[in-house]
Amino acid sequence: MRLEGRSLFPWIAGAAILFSIGWALNRGQLPPADFTFVNGTEVKSLDPAIVTGQPENRMINALFEGLTSWDPKTLEPGPGVAQRWDVSDDLLTYTFHLRHDAKWSDGSPVTAHDFIYSMRRFLDPRTAAEYSYQAWYVKNAKKYSGGGRALRPGDNVEVELNVDPDAPNSIRGKLIHGQLVRIEDKSGQELTGEALDKAAADASLNIEDWVFVISTEAGEERFRYADDLSASRNEPAAGERHARQILLDLHDVGMRAIDDRTIEFTLENPTPYFLTLLGFYPLFPVQQKCVETFGSPQWTDVENIVCNGPFKPEFRRLRDRTRVVKNEYYWDRENVKLNSVDFLAVESSTTALNLYLTGEVDWIYDVPAAALRTLLAEQPPRDDINPVPLLNTYFYLLNVTRKPFDDVRVRKALSMAIDREELTGVLLGAGERPTYSLVPPGLPGYDPPQGPHENVAEARRLLAEAGYPEGRGFPTIEVLYNTHEGHQAIAQLIRKQWQKNLGISVRTRNEEWATFNSSQRQLNYDVSRRGWIGDYADPNTFLDMFVSGGENNCTGWGNPEYDKLIAAAAVEPDPDKRLDLLHQAETILMDEQPIIPFYNYVSKNMVKPTIRGFYNNIQDTHPLSALWIDAEEKTPNPFMEGRE
Amino acid sequence: MIAFIGKRLFWLLITMWAVFTVSFILMRSVPGGPFDREKAVAPEIKRNLERRYNLDKPVLEQYGLELKRVFWEWDLGHCMNIADASVNYVIRQGLPISAALGILAMTFAVSFGVLTGVVSAAMRGSRLDVGLRLAATAGIALPNFVVAGICILLFVFWIPLLPAAGWGSLSQLVLPAFCLGAPYAAEVARITRTSMLDSLSHDYIRTARAKGVSRTRVVLVHGLRNSLLPVVSFLGPAVAGILTGSLIVEQIFGIPGLGVYFVKSALQRDYTLSMGVVLLYTLVLYTMNFLVDLSYAYLDPRVELE
Repeated sequence: MRLEGRSLFPWIAGAAILFSIGWALNRGQLPPADFTFVNGTEVKSLDPAIVTGQPENRMINALFEGLTSWDPKTLEPGPGVAQRWDVSDDLLTYTFHLRHDAKWSDGSPVTAHDFIYSMRRFLDPRTAAEYSYQAWYVKNAKKYSGGGRALRPGDNVEVELNVDPDAPNSIRGKLIHGQLVRIEDKSGQELTGEALDKAAADASLNIEDWVFVISTEAGEERFRYADDLSASRNEPAAGERHARQILLDLHDVGMRAIDDRTIEFTLENPTPYFLTLLGFYPLFPVQQKCVETFGSPQWTDVENIVCNGPFKPEFRRLRDRTRVVKNEYYWDRENVKLNSVDFLAVESSTTALNLYLTGEVDWIYDVPAAALRTLLAEQPPRDDINPVPLLNTYFYLLNVTRKPFDDVRVRKALSMAIDREELTGVLLGAGERPTYSLVPPGLPGYDPPQGPHENVAEARRLLAEAGYPEGRGFPTIEVLYNTHEGHQAIAQLIRKQWQKNLGISVRTRNEEWATFNSSQRQLNYDVSRRGWIGDYADPNTFLDMFVSGGENNCTGWGNPEYDKLIAAAAVEPDPDKRLDLLHQAETILMDEQPIIPFYNYVSKNMVKPTIRGFYNNIQDTHPLSALWIDAEEKTPNPFMEGRE
Repeated sequence: MIAFIGKRLFWLLITMWAVFTVSFILMRSVPGGPFDREKAVAPEIKRNLERRYNLDKPVLEQYGLELKRVFWEWDLGHCMNIADASVNYVIRQGLPISAALGILAMTFAVSFGVLTGVVSAAMRGSRLDVGLRLAATAGIALPNFVVAGICILLFVFWIPLLPAAGWGSLSQLVLPAFCLGAPYAAEVARITRTSMLDSLSHDYIRTARAKGVSRTRVVLVHGLRNSLLPVVSFLGPAVAGILTGSLIVEQIFGIPGLGVYFVKSALQRDYTLSMGVVLLYTLVLYTMNFLVDLSYAYLDPRVELE
C-alpha cells in the first residue's frame, strides 16, 4: 500500500508537467497584428470617463472619438464626430454640427444626445471621474460635479432618488426638480454665507449630516443623502426623504442638444483651448444603451463594449496584450490603414527595448537612459530614434512655509548654484534642455520669462545677505524624491552642487509613490522633486497650479498679484493679451522662485523606419489611426526630421 | 488521519483570519491611500471613489464588511487600480500562468538539482564535485535578474535562438523557466548532496556494498531514498513561492502572471488586490506545508501523523 503511494509520485509529477506545458501553450500562437507596440502598464479601464495616464490615453484614442480630433502632426483640433462648428463673437458659445455618417460599432448613429449623456455622466460625482476638471470650462459644470457641497440657497437643483440596490449601477434614479431653500447642518442649524462655504470645503464633511430643504411641486420637502442599500433598509427620518444625491439642475449647465445633430456649449470664460479639450480622451462619448444595460465596469468587457473610434477591441488579456481591430462602422474607415493593432502591456522599459531590438514590436515610447545614450552615439546614426523636447518640466518645489526657504534670497541662491548643463549634458544625455522657466518652450506665441541663470558668486552673495555667509548657520536641508534611480541620481548631483557651491549640507530622502504624494501635499518636506506634464498645449496648464492655496501648489507659496493675473487671463477674450497676462504671472513666479526648474523632458520613441504617419510633437501624442506601413521605404521618414 | 486533516483545516482558518487582520491593519496604517494622486482630486469625487470601496466608513465597520465579504461570500472585491477587473478575475487570469511556469521551473529545479546533488555526493572530492558545487554556490548567490540578463544576452542577442519576452509559445517558456528554477536547482543540489553524504556514511550502506549490491543501486536506492526527506521539506515553501510567481522574472520576460501584484498592489495602496494576493499566498503556502507533512508519512514509515 505504502509502496504504491510512493510509486504514484513520478506519475503525478509527470502529469503536472504535461498539464502546465499544455496550459502555457493553450493560448496558442496568434497571427501577428499589423502593428504591435509597447503600451506600458495595463490600462486601468476602457471607460474614457474614469481614466488618467498615458497608456490609457493611447488606448482610448484608438477606441473612441470626440467632437474634435487632433491632427497627428500639429495636434491642432480638426473635425472629429463634429463636421464643423460655429463660435459666437464673445467666444463663449460653441455650436457643433455632427456628421451624419458617425456611427457606433453596433451600427447605430452617434447623436448629440450621446454627447450630452456622456458629458453629464462624466460630470456626475457618482462616476468619480478624476479628470472631471477638464470639463469645468463649461458653464456651471464645476458646480454640477461638486454635488451637494457646491449648492447654495436659491440654486435650481435636481434630486436623484434612490434606486433598487440590485439594479445596474449605471442607472440613474428618478429626478425631482426644485429650488434649494436652505441647508441645515447636523444640529439643525441653517448654514448660510461663509459658514456654508467653509463647511462645504471641509474634506472630512459627512454629507449625510446635512438636510437639503427644497421647494418642489409638492411644496417644501426635506432631503437627506442616503446610499441605495441603507435607503432600501431604513425608513427616512420623520418629515424627510432619502436622496441618492442632490445636484445642480442639469438645465443650468451650459450644454444642450438642439437637435439630433447639433450641440451647443456655453462656457464660463473664453477658453482658447476648448476645441483641443474636446479632442482629449476624457471628453469622448460613450453609448448610453451599452453603459446602462451592462452597468459599470462590465460594459467595458470586450464582449459588451460599444465604441465609436477607428478601432474596436477584439480581446483583452490582463497585463499581456489587448488587440484592437478596425471598426467597420467608423466614418473615416477608408483612411484607417491598419487592420489590427496589438497593445502590449510591458512595464519594464528594458524588456520593451529587448522586444524592439529583436523585431517583436514596431514602436516603444521609452528607452532606459543608459541604453539611450549608446543608441544615440551609434555611428552611422540610427534611423529610428529622434528625441525632441516635450511639454513637460522637471523641477524642485521649495517649501516656503519652512525656514530658510521663506527668504526669497535663499531660494534664488539655491537656483543660481545649480549647474543645469552638467545635469542635462553629463547625467541625462538624451538631449534634454536646461530650463529656467516653468512653462516649456515651444508653445506658439509664448516665450517663457527666464528665472535666474547659474551664477555661483551671486548665489553666495545672496546667501550671505540672507544671514548665512559661506553657508554658516544654514540648517541641513533635505531633498525628497520618489523612489526611482533616475530621480536619485539627479538628487545626488544637486546635493553635490549645493554643497560645493554654497557650503551647505544637504541630505536626500526617498519615499515610494503614494507616501511621497502625501508628504508633498501635507508640506512635509524641505525640497521636493516634481515633474509636470501639460494637459493641453497652453501655458495655463502649468501656471494655474501655483495660485494661492491651489490644490497642486504644494509649496505654501502664494502671491495676490499672481492670483489676480491668472484670474484675469482666464476671462480675457483677446488671445495676445491673455498670453501677456500669463507671461507677467510667470515673471512673478520666476522672480520669487518657490520652484527651481531644471530641464524639459524629451520624447524617447523608437519607431521602425517602415512605420509612416508617426510625427514628433511636444505632447508625444501619436494617433494610431494615422499610421500606415510603407514596406518599400522610399522616402526618409518624417519622424526623423531634424536629427542630423 | 481524518482528525489530522480536520485539525489542520481548523488552523488554516485561524491562520487566514490572522493574516487578514494583520494585513488589514498594516495597509491602513501606511501613509497615503489608494486614491491619492499627484494631481489633487476634488473632494466630492474622492468621496465617491472611497464610497465605492466602503473606505468612507469607520475603520471597524470596514473591517467587518471586508471580513464578511472575503470569508463568507468568497469575494475578494474589486481592484482599486485596474478598475475594470475584480480581484477574483485578476487571480483567475494570473495564477494559472504563474503556476504553469512555476511547475516547469520546479521540475527543472528538482530533476537537475537532485541529479547533480547525487553525482556530487557519489563522486565526493572529484573535480566534477568541485565544479558542480561551485555552480550551485553561484546559482544561490547570483540574483535572478543577473542570471536573466546574462541569459538574454547569450540566447537572445548573441545566439538568436529564443524570443526576448512574452507568453504563449514553447520557446518563450525556456528562459523564464530556467531563470526562475536556477536558484532552486542550486539549493536542491546543495541539500541533496549534504543529505546524501550523510546517508552514505551509514552502516547499512556498507552492509549493502558488502553484500555485493552494485554501486549504482546502493547510491540510487539505498542512499537516495533515505536522503529525500530534507529535499521534500525544502520543496514545500519553495513550491508555494514559485507557484504564485516571481516579480523579477515576470517583469523581465513580460509574463502576465501574479508575481508583480505582490509588490505593485502594495505600492499603489490597492487594498483589495494586495489583500487578495496575500491571502492567496497564505493558502498556497499552508496547503504545500500540509502536503509535505502528508508526504513524510509516505516517504518515511517511521513518521506518524498526529
